[in-house]
Amino acid sequence: MEIIIQGIKEGLLLVFSMDQQIMKVTILSLQVSLSALLIAACLGIPAGAALALKDMPGRRLLLNIVYTFMGLPPVLAGLIVYLALTTRGPLGQYQLLFTPIAMICAQVLLALPIVCGLTARTVMAQRQEVYDTAVTLGASRRQAAWAIIRESRMGIIAALTTALGRLVAEVGAVMLVGGNIQDSTRVLTTSIVLETRMGNDSRAIGIGIILLLIAFAIIVLINILEKRSFKNDAGIQIT
Amino acid sequence: MTPVFKLHNIIKRYGQREVLNIGELSIPGQKIYAILGPNGSGKTTLMRIMALLTKNDTGTVRVLNEDINWGKEQLLKLRRQMTMVTQTSFMFEGTVYANIAYGLKVRRKSDKNIRPIIEKSLELVGMSAFASADARNLSGGERQKAAIARALALEPRVLFLDEPTANIDPQSAVEIERYIQFINREFGTTIILVTHNLFQARRLADEVLFLWDGKMVEKGTGKDLFENAKDQRTRSFLCGETVF
Repeated sequence: MEIIIQGIKEGLLLVFSMDQQIMKVTILSLQVSLSALLIAACLGIPAGAALALKDMPGRRLLLNIVYTFMGLPPVLAGLIVYLALTTRGPLGQYQLLFTPIAMICAQVLLALPIVCGLTARTVMAQRQEVYDTAVTLGASRRQAAWAIIRESRMGIIAALTTALGRLVAEVGAVMLVGGNIQDSTRVLTTSIVLETRMGNDSRAIGIGIILLLIAFAIIVLINILEKRSFKNDAGIQIT
Repeated sequence: MTPVFKLHNIIKRYGQREVLNIGELSIPGQKIYAILGPNGSGKTTLMRIMALLTKNDTGTVRVLNEDINWGKEQLLKLRRQMTMVTQTSFMFEGTVYANIAYGLKVRRKSDKNIRPIIEKSLELVGMSAFASADARNLSGGERQKAAIARALALEPRVLFLDEPTANIDPQSAVEIERYIQFINREFGTTIILVTHNLFQARRLADEVLFLWDGKMVEKGTGKDLFENAKDQRTRSFLCGETVF
């Protein structure tokens, strides 16, 4: 218990002391996770919407594959990227292994099925009347599909939040393809592993607190965005 | 006058169940045409086929002088000449103004041109004060009026109304009926009114079609149908309503 209390104290000190090393690691963590989320959003939202709205052969199978990959173990994602980027792998010539780009690739692999699968679910949950209203008001199929996506934005924001939560907390994949190299690929989660292994428990807890604060800040930001989108939505009133 | 809709041997099935079987049907333009019938008689399916929202299984549909091939471009062109107001009109997230603007924006009209059209439409239904109100927080009557304003802004040749007053108070229903008549008389818009409210059909319709179990039982002018119904099923439906 003493270690935990000591850790929390040190952690708060670390946060307020703006330790250079920790700042670097924090910034890289954010860069990697937010870049991965952005790429996953750019690919996953249109793909999820297409899976939900387009009647194509093999759609059900594709959806099941996406849902399965939502539970992809991070280490396995890391392994796939590792095998692709290793010198003997198909992308080995680009020498990306143990760089932040490799870490972003691994995280995209983790976030993409979450964004795609949850977007597909939320778009499929929209009622037929959204499409009917749009087309009877003169929308083309593409415009009507966009209207459905717009109506699904609460669910899409939830998908992005879920994906980001997974990315920020993820350690296995970034450790495997990033290598936890100081000043290069060390992020908050891999730092916690390192500090724990070195017996610096309090410092590990401190970094953990920073990680939690980042997650909290992101959620607050997303809530603000949500409120801006749904400013008149009082939600469900249970009396 | 060339009919606005011409249907020939239309059959629609959902699974094994045949929900619509129409031999020949011509609907003249610029009139208020009511489709009457009990629940499950195929009224809404017929309207959805005419509105090009549901494909018929067999037969041919002719809309606004075009044989329907269900091609993307043809659908868009024809759908842009028609619009629909349903019993609980769906409103997009946003203000009443944004909802009315939607149909104009998808037609690539500029914001400058959109504003006066929306203001006029809102004024016509007495909803000017609601332009910036959240469309999802309107009462049933206000929502229907906003939906009518949204339809009016598009100046459609055909307006489909699916039980437009089913969920609203009598006062608002009277107002909406007034707007329906106004739109028909002022703009020459063909109105297809789906209802099981006999009194409403009688008050508004120039011509009435009575459906029973997916089949066309009787059609004629409102006066003919309500005063001299020939078919026993029509008479019993009319009597049942009158009793209630």
